[in-house]
Amino acid sequence: MGLVQREIEKIGIPTISVSIVRKLTEEVKPPRAVFLRWPFGHPLGEPFNVPQQMTILREAFNALKEIKEPGTITDLPYRWKREKYEM
Amino acid sequence: MAEKQTFGERLITKIFSRFPIISEMWAKKFKAYGVEGIPWTPFEKELSQCKVAIVTSAGVHVKTQQPFDMEDHEGYPTFREIPRDTPKSELTITHKYYDHTDADRDINIVYPIDRFFEMKERKEIGEVAEFHYGLMGHILGRHLKTLVEETGPEIARRLKSSGVDVAFLTPG
Repeated sequence: MGLVQREIEKIGIPTISVSIVRKLTEEVKPPRAVFLRWPFGHPLGEPFNVPQQMTILREAFNALKEIKEPGTITDLPYRWKREKYEM
Repeated sequence: MAEKQTFGERLITKIFSRFPIISEMWAKKFKAYGVEGIPWTPFEKELSQCKVAIVTSAGVHVKTQQPFDMEDHEGYPTFREIPRDTPKSELTITHKYYDHTDADRDINIVYPIDRFFEMKERKEIGEVAEFHYGLMGHILGRHLKTLVEETGPEIARRLKSSGVDVAFLTPG
């Protein structure tokens, strides 16, 4: 996914991704990513948890704005199933 | 569904999904193809003015499209174009290398299309792109070249020609 992200960025479209395997993202070097130590298959969180999904989306778009150094991976502080989310 | 998992494969995907440390160990062995430098396009617009697209490697596609081929152990480096207004009941996931039981219940956890429409409604983003892109992750070996030299650039061209300002990417 990071390899495709790099191609999209190359054509002139800014990109942001969610990473759940930090080592892989470090290897592939996409321009910007937010990292969550969450299980595979859950980049936005749990099914039907709208506030959680929205929180991660907003964090990702915030990182898109804030990251100025190519290759930055921002570690998000959310623990799996141990947080309360609000819209 | 084109995914026939053996008991062993089911067990492995469940273990990988439950214990991130194992994924990290697996990733250490991964060697990326064609990674030189880091591409960069500055983000200078307001998000509320941007047309945003989703690109996911979680194996999402429309049910009527040909599923990703699960027989090749090195993956299947093609993409599926997902029209914005496809009803969720028409979407499916073909990917046997992660446990997508939860994503089958609510596809938004890998393909947050409902959240995108809500953000558009609240004017947090300008527009939901007309087309989004689904791929299958787990691309290895000889297919990495195709992914980097053909599939990736073709998705990029399509996004560019439909005026997409920002791409949001998710893994499986």
